[in-house]
Amino acid sequence: MLRIFQRFWLVNWAEQWQYRANLLMYLLYWLVSPVVYLSVWITIANSQGSVNGMSANDFVTYYLTLLIVDQLTSDITIHILAYKIQDGTLSGDLLRPVHPILVNTLVNNIAFKALTFMALIPIWVVLVLLFRPDYSAVSWQSVLLALPGVAMGFGISFLLGATITCLAFWTTRVYSISEFYYALAVLFSGQFVPLPLMPRVIQAAAQYLPFQMMRYVPIETILNRLPLETVLRDYAIGLAWLAVAWLLFRFVWREGVRRFSAVGA
Amino acid sequence: MHTLRVLAALFKINLQMSLAYRADTLVNILLNLMWLGWELLGLSIIFSNTTQLAGWGIGEMIALMGVFRLVNMLMASLIWPNTEKFNTSIRDGSLDYTLLLPVNSLFLTTFSRMVIWRAWDLVLATALIVVGVNMSGGGATPLRLLSFMLLTGTGAMIIYSLWIVMIAATFWFVKFDNNVTILQALLDAGRYPANVYPVWLRMIVTFVVPIAVATTVPLQALRGELTFLQILLYLGVSLAAFVVASRIWKAGMKKYSGASS
Amino acid sequence: MSELIQVNQLSKTYKVPEREGGFRSAVRGFFKRKYRDVNAVQQVTFTICQGEIVGFLGPNGAGKTTTLKMLSGLLHPTGGSASVLGYTPWERKRGYLQAMTLVMGQRNRLSWDIPAADSFLLNQAIYRIPQAEYARTLKELDELLDLSPIMRKPVRNLSLGERMKCELAAALLHRPQVLFLDEPTIGLDITAQARIRSFLQEYNRRTGATILLTSHYMADVTALCERIIIIHQGRLKYDGAISELTHRIAPFKLIGVALGDPCPCDLTPYGKPVAGENGDGKQFVQVPAGEVASITSRLLAELPIHDLTIEDPPIEDVIERAFQE
Repeated sequence: MLRIFQRFWLVNWAEQWQYRANLLMYLLYWLVSPVVYLSVWITIANSQGSVNGMSANDFVTYYLTLLIVDQLTSDITIHILAYKIQDGTLSGDLLRPVHPILVNTLVNNIAFKALTFMALIPIWVVLVLLFRPDYSAVSWQSVLLALPGVAMGFGISFLLGATITCLAFWTTRVYSISEFYYALAVLFSGQFVPLPLMPRVIQAAAQYLPFQMMRYVPIETILNRLPLETVLRDYAIGLAWLAVAWLLFRFVWREGVRRFSAVGA
Repeated sequence: MHTLRVLAALFKINLQMSLAYRADTLVNILLNLMWLGWELLGLSIIFSNTTQLAGWGIGEMIALMGVFRLVNMLMASLIWPNTEKFNTSIRDGSLDYTLLLPVNSLFLTTFSRMVIWRAWDLVLATALIVVGVNMSGGGATPLRLLSFMLLTGTGAMIIYSLWIVMIAATFWFVKFDNNVTILQALLDAGRYPANVYPVWLRMIVTFVVPIAVATTVPLQALRGELTFLQILLYLGVSLAAFVVASRIWKAGMKKYSGASS
Repeated sequence: MSELIQVNQLSKTYKVPEREGGFRSAVRGFFKRKYRDVNAVQQVTFTICQGEIVGFLGPNGAGKTTTLKMLSGLLHPTGGSASVLGYTPWERKRGYLQAMTLVMGQRNRLSWDIPAADSFLLNQAIYRIPQAEYARTLKELDELLDLSPIMRKPVRNLSLGERMKCELAAALLHRPQVLFLDEPTIGLDITAQARIRSFLQEYNRRTGATILLTSHYMADVTALCERIIIIHQGRLKYDGAISELTHRIAPFKLIGVALGDPCPCDLTPYGKPVAGENGDGKQFVQVPAGEVASITSRLLAELPIHDLTIEDPPIEDVIERAFQE
């Protein structure tokens, strides 16, 4: 099994290295909006001392940590797989004795992360020099405590992303659906603003939704701002969502492949 | 007259294409509305925590949202689809056919594709600007409104010129598919007034990829922050940018046909 | 007849960056690029009169497409001059673009997503074709190409042959006087090829348009062109009638004989035996054109001959030969 992963890894790495110019553009995309929101909140925090108890530095550390967590938990399955389902090239993947998504696409995702990380580190260092965050609250324990959260965040976002991608078996408008999903994720995950700044209704909903595990919970855990019992409660909710996402994915995948082979695409 | 007729024919073709995908158009408009709600929610979150963003009130921010939508419309309805068409036509050689037509090649390259449902954004943007201006209360004299509209036009012109230069670059550096993506990537920075940003980012969005010139500057005119001389300056810069850009386009054409080597 | 196309010493030299393999030379090339001159077209001279259909032949890379691109104004030459309809093509005057067309068999001008009829309307606007004339031309093209059943379908749903018909129609709506056709039948099946061929013939007859075409299919050339121009490695090799070419390049005749007894006679004393085309039991020998009479009489005198024919060698072989020389 490990060997298979390794092979896929090598092929993927080589393939994606070809597109390093695209990669830079992707990084730019991914960079701009956090920096924009960060600037907005710094401006407000500086003009009135603090926002809802958050100082300018709290915002800087939040968004700079977000850049890394976002990169670790995000998922690009729809870009890898949806077109394969639509134009029928998935049938080639189905012939292989490995799971097309749980091996091939997963490795694709991870290879992409490894690659973007190489470009991300220098950019991140530059941003740290520009914004001068005070990271003194972070300890190795807090980082360690956040790791399961990051893993869960990626697990959930990968499985939900794959589930939505699998809707391509039934509809051609899978990209629109995914855009809708993406908007929800940005709102409820804390990508846009730290959740405590949100209206109460959204905060309350976010607590029980899977999205906060993708950004907010790991970030705040790293930054040591959440009490341990909150972290544990959120992890329990995250674990439940991971199970739900797994079941959803299994169901959609099985039905989808059945339909795919019935249509003979 | 002839140009208008060609434009009308292109419009008709593109309209037919979008009518062929009616359901998609509907879905796109719904998504568009969703993002509008999303943006308004974002503004309300910001202004539930403060009354002013770098000296700008909520009304002005809503108007800025409208102007940003206009720029976004320009990108989504013309610049993006035509870049894609242009890149394909260079790759598969069909650009040759464009050059054989007795019509200005830059004109055809700009207007071959139009995403027509995006015209809907025009309505939304106008509504946002009107509401925003009203909310910001008074201040908006007819003269300011006029200079606001003028500067929205010059901003669009500057972005358009930059785009021409970017795609013309393809004639010299064949592998440069990513050119226009930079524009799109930095577009998000146009959502907020440029003086929110740290100096380095402000420099980038003002001089390197002048998104702010098309979004913040018109609003500044509306707030009466610009002198007459500054307005003239922007007007001059946008005209100069267009002249330079179309020169570069012509040089690119020459390069393509081997006239310059 | 007026000389519509005049080409004089036309040349095109491309500068091609030279790249050797290996990392070190790649680095060196980054700083100081070496260029090599490629002479795609060298001092080509010819004239074509109004209403002629001329075949423009040569092996791959001979410079045919480059020449066509220069004549249609897409490329500037590096030397020489050309005049078509009194215009210098690469000045790309509106009047010239309005009076000529270029069709490239391997490239699409029509939009994939919409029916050809809609692209036609766009062309009407671009070429400023008055409504009445547009309707008349379209009707005429429909008659010749049978467009009605196909022009309302999205182009992506058409077969290759149907698409080519639409491409040709789109290229001819503005009634150009000069047609440059680069491989117009490439990839089509035999029936579709024949269809396009007869269309071009008829179009030329009706409108008196001048046509310069390249093709890899000799059948196109022999059916359409009385005159051919051959270029090879950028240089003009032959310019004249197809029939003349046989005399010049291959001054042979083929004598076919059917013998009374089915005896496998040895014909080598009379000439070089070659394989015959038709399976009627004839044997062929290739003889020099000047000796046809004497060899024929010898054959008749010395062998029990039932039937005897004298033929030109197949044009494909001749042109092949011309390329090789």
